[in-house]
Amino acid sequence: MLSKKKSISQLLEAWQYDEDLKENIMHWHTLEAQPASYAPFPETMHQSIRKALQMRGIEQLYTHQRQAFDYATGGKSFTAVTPTASGKSYCYHLPVLQKILEDKSSRAIYLFPTKALAQDQKTDLNELIELMDEDILSYTYDGDTAPGIRQKIRKAGHIVMTNPDMLHSGILPHHTKWVSLFENLKYIVIDELHTYKGVFGSHVAHVIRRLKRICAFYGSDPIFICTSATIKNPKELAESLTNTTHKLIAKSGAPVGKKTFIFYNPPIIHPTFGVRRSAILEVRDLSTRLFEAGIQTIIFAKSRVRVEMLVTYLKSLTAKKIADESIQGYRGGYLPSERREIEKGLRDGSIQMVVSTNALELGVDIGQLQACIMTGYPGNIASAWQQAGRAGRRQDEALIIYVAQSTALDQYVVNHPTYLLGSEPEQANINPENILILMAHLKCAAFELPFSVTDHYGEFTVQELLAYLAEEGVLVKTSTQWHWMSDRFPAHEISLRSAAQENVVIIDTTVPAKTKVIGEMDTYSAMTLLHEEAIYIHQGTQFQVEKLDWEEKKAFVREVDVDYFTDANLAVELKVLEEDKCAHYKTATVSYGDVGILAIPTIFKKIRFNTHDNIGSGPIHLPPMEMHTNATWVSFDLPENWSEEMLTDALHGAAYALGSFIPLFIQCDRSDVSVVPQVKAVHNERPTLFIYDSYPGGIGLSEKVYDVLLPLLERTVQHIENCPCKSGCPSCIGAQDSLQESKKRVLKVLNILLVEMMWP
Amino acid sequence: MSYENKILQMKKMLGKKTSEEQEKPKFVKPAAPSYKEAWTAAGLTPVHNDFGMLFKREVRYPLTYRHGNYELGELYNAIEAWEAADMNHPYRLTFDDTLVFFDTETTGLKGTGTHIFLLGLLEERGDEFVLTQYVLADPENEAALLFESKFWQRAITIVSYNGKSFDWPMLETRWTLNQNIIPKLRPQKQIDLLHSSKRLWKNDLEKMKLVQVEEEKLGFKREGDIPGYLAPIIYFDAVKSGNAEALMKVLLHNEWDLLSLITLYVHQTKLLFASEVESAVTYTNIGKWYGDLKQPIASEHVLTNVTENYREQEASLAYFYLAIQQKRNANYESAKLSFEKALPGISPKQKLQAYEQLAMLHEHQFQQFDRALFYTEKGLEIVRQSSLTTDQKQKQLVKWEKRYKRIENKRQ
Repeated sequence: MLSKKKSISQLLEAWQYDEDLKENIMHWHTLEAQPASYAPFPETMHQSIRKALQMRGIEQLYTHQRQAFDYATGGKSFTAVTPTASGKSYCYHLPVLQKILEDKSSRAIYLFPTKALAQDQKTDLNELIELMDEDILSYTYDGDTAPGIRQKIRKAGHIVMTNPDMLHSGILPHHTKWVSLFENLKYIVIDELHTYKGVFGSHVAHVIRRLKRICAFYGSDPIFICTSATIKNPKELAESLTNTTHKLIAKSGAPVGKKTFIFYNPPIIHPTFGVRRSAILEVRDLSTRLFEAGIQTIIFAKSRVRVEMLVTYLKSLTAKKIADESIQGYRGGYLPSERREIEKGLRDGSIQMVVSTNALELGVDIGQLQACIMTGYPGNIASAWQQAGRAGRRQDEALIIYVAQSTALDQYVVNHPTYLLGSEPEQANINPENILILMAHLKCAAFELPFSVTDHYGEFTVQELLAYLAEEGVLVKTSTQWHWMSDRFPAHEISLRSAAQENVVIIDTTVPAKTKVIGEMDTYSAMTLLHEEAIYIHQGTQFQVEKLDWEEKKAFVREVDVDYFTDANLAVELKVLEEDKCAHYKTATVSYGDVGILAIPTIFKKIRFNTHDNIGSGPIHLPPMEMHTNATWVSFDLPENWSEEMLTDALHGAAYALGSFIPLFIQCDRSDVSVVPQVKAVHNERPTLFIYDSYPGGIGLSEKVYDVLLPLLERTVQHIENCPCKSGCPSCIGAQDSLQESKKRVLKVLNILLVEMMWP
Repeated sequence: MSYENKILQMKKMLGKKTSEEQEKPKFVKPAAPSYKEAWTAAGLTPVHNDFGMLFKREVRYPLTYRHGNYELGELYNAIEAWEAADMNHPYRLTFDDTLVFFDTETTGLKGTGTHIFLLGLLEERGDEFVLTQYVLADPENEAALLFESKFWQRAITIVSYNGKSFDWPMLETRWTLNQNIIPKLRPQKQIDLLHSSKRLWKNDLEKMKLVQVEEEKLGFKREGDIPGYLAPIIYFDAVKSGNAEALMKVLLHNEWDLLSLITLYVHQTKLLFASEVESAVTYTNIGKWYGDLKQPIASEHVLTNVTENYREQEASLAYFYLAIQQKRNANYESAKLSFEKALPGISPKQKLQAYEQLAMLHEHQFQQFDRALFYTEKGLEIVRQSSLTTDQKQKQLVKWEKRYKRIENKRQ
């Protein structure tokens, strides 16, 4: 048999003449290669560093690396925007090593969002130090660090690589054991800055404020070095995260290879309902072409379920080969050892195709992939570029295929390629003012060091809050100070990563004598993915959940072989707790404030593979989950003569459409904000649309929606009107069961609001 | 107030700072707490120094003061015994040591937010014993408390119960937090009686809590004692309410802990010099301890004492440790006999070791390959029945089967 292997340019040439594909490709776009721009080594750079770089074949720096060195040695905190494979780690390694060589008592902390990234960087840094032939000690310090070596790291480690969680609960509350680190701390490096957004970022912002407080106690004032993927506001994010002024290095001097983008829209198979062929099935077919051409490819899918479905489909390509591991899934919920194995397979080429959730957006080094397929728009531009960056590392030609799903935002992006290619990526938002997060960390800070009655905490004045904590009985006020006075350990009461504290452990009971843990999942996701009778797919194998022990947070699963997957519904109830802002129109009111949310999983559906038919359903019995957050809500009067059912449909359609376009206006991920309609809201008994932050305490997104509601309505109405479908489809107001007046009604509801807001 | 209302209230309290923070002022001596009189009335003495104030309680005991089975003065006999023994041992004390029996009470278990609110020191003064308890007036007066302890000034020998890994590191933490105010903490010689208790009473006492040790070994039973875990809450209450009545109970608890440290040291010394009778288990432990300290003569002496004076079932473990000593001293015949006598009463893990040693002795020293094979088979049997993980089991099997083949070859 002839080899079918092709290069990307050969493949693209063939595709140009492929009638099947041509119809669905909405747009081709090529980004030309960019040459590197260099700068010489700084004069002051230590001989040992120079020597090590030369041994790696580096005779000069990229311009951004040089600028980083100059800022750092000039005592300025800075943030460097560094695309994949631009040699970002030299932006911090070089100044840090330089400082340690100049003064051996100097110390640095490197913060990575995950343990795995710290491990990667330690290996790399230790190789560099070995080439330098200098006595510099760098260690990772996390939950895996052996107790025997911890003492040495605390006393003698020049560079301590850790993660925010460890800093939060393992280092800061025990700072007296780290005196030599805190007294001599010169640099704090924050890698993958863009990952510190939302709730996690807000938590980390406080961990950093606590860290700075402790540094001040020991008399050090470290410089911050941050590196970030492309986002709209790297400088602002860094400044907000670290409460420190930053310089920005926006331009990378690293070379970039040629990239071809293909915008692919699945064909319409039911014109009346506007139903398109499933994006997953299209991705399966496109992946098959790439697999047969021998092109190493990464496929991104948005949910764990979709990843597993694709793995199941694609593994049939290698089903006839024995022990073929060339196609793999990769997502959160796999055990760390399993993930390390896959990362290695990608680097050494034994794995040709990997299907991933956004877990791989992070800078884990998986070497060179040639192509990337995005199943649906990942929700924001920054993520899309990071996913695209996985293809074509190190100057090679790369292919990126975006396959649109039938949602409104996906369809908008596939029809407006300039949105993705031309516009700026999103902001990463954090909200250190989130009162729940702030109070939790204020306790930790008070535990770590007493506050004086004149102290601030970061940029906040907190004396009243400290008095509140004293009333609660955890602080006591002496003549001039607030002291921690409780036998609790406050850091253990916070998890930085999510609102939900615990994970559900997934236990395989297929062989009763040999039960084993195969993964874990946060409680919020578990409500809809691990309920009893749910089909949980792990590495392409189907498991049915036999029993979910909610108290103990354990899901017992058994291997099954069925031709369907499950999909669960979540019902949401809202109550208004406090109204902070309000605008009145003729009949409508728009408000912003605090809300309480109750989420209850209701029923699940069984959906057949390939055809995606609904073949059964059942109830879910789980306790509701509560959350307090911020929301913007719009209430208005019922149009005359409408039944409640008509209104329900219209509100759902309006919520669906509005929700789709929010990310265009406030630069966030689709899932950061939720839109929920209530036909009769509890607080005023009027039809109401709630737009709320999907995180406890809120992160300031719905407040922004309050200000952009009018243009948001305009854009939404315009999109629905222009949608080619007759009576509503997944690209505008959501899939419809029957041919009714839904689309007209949604437009009517939205127009009532629009007209009132335009001409109040 | 409901949860939601609390949150809304808190949000209103949050402000943002406008101007830059001023320079931190130099150390200012903190004021005395408002409850100074109340605590004094409860029986504490206020003490003032350059760093603020603290409270103090002092109790003196004559040498004849009896605490459980012993009089405090017997400490001198114990030290004399060590002086006379001329042996290198981590628990050895001499009359050159300035002894401070030491115990703290704290507001929690770990972290910089945990305060030491009571430093208890019990010292011998030749003709009497003096207990000094220093009580934290409030957290702001911490430097005053630490300074008063004199731990920065004198070279002393600290005797404690779990002090090496708890009380002393906690004291170091508190000291570090006050490092800009008071002189550096002096590193001190440490004797931790929890460690020696574990050595002596392994397989004998179920729990190594001091209260258990007192009851079972020292003949002291507490009455009206408050449990240690209540101490933080009692201190918080004393600070918040100004009422120190319950706090005095914590001081009594601490006093008993310290008195028991003296009698515990006396008792353990007697055991080490075999001038007190306890079970075979304890003496076997002592023998092993001497062995681990590389003092083979003392070790063999104690173990032989067990094998000669106790019934054989009780002495199995002593035979086992003795055998190891004997083999180390190239005393192969005795080692063989001791291992054989040890076999009936030791754990499977130790049995496996014994079979291995016996197989080696018969293979290398006595060239009796039949016997060597016999013991190898016994060893294999244990490995096969063991609850080791598959991986470890595999390793063991490979090792034992290799031995088996080698001996079989030699036999032919």
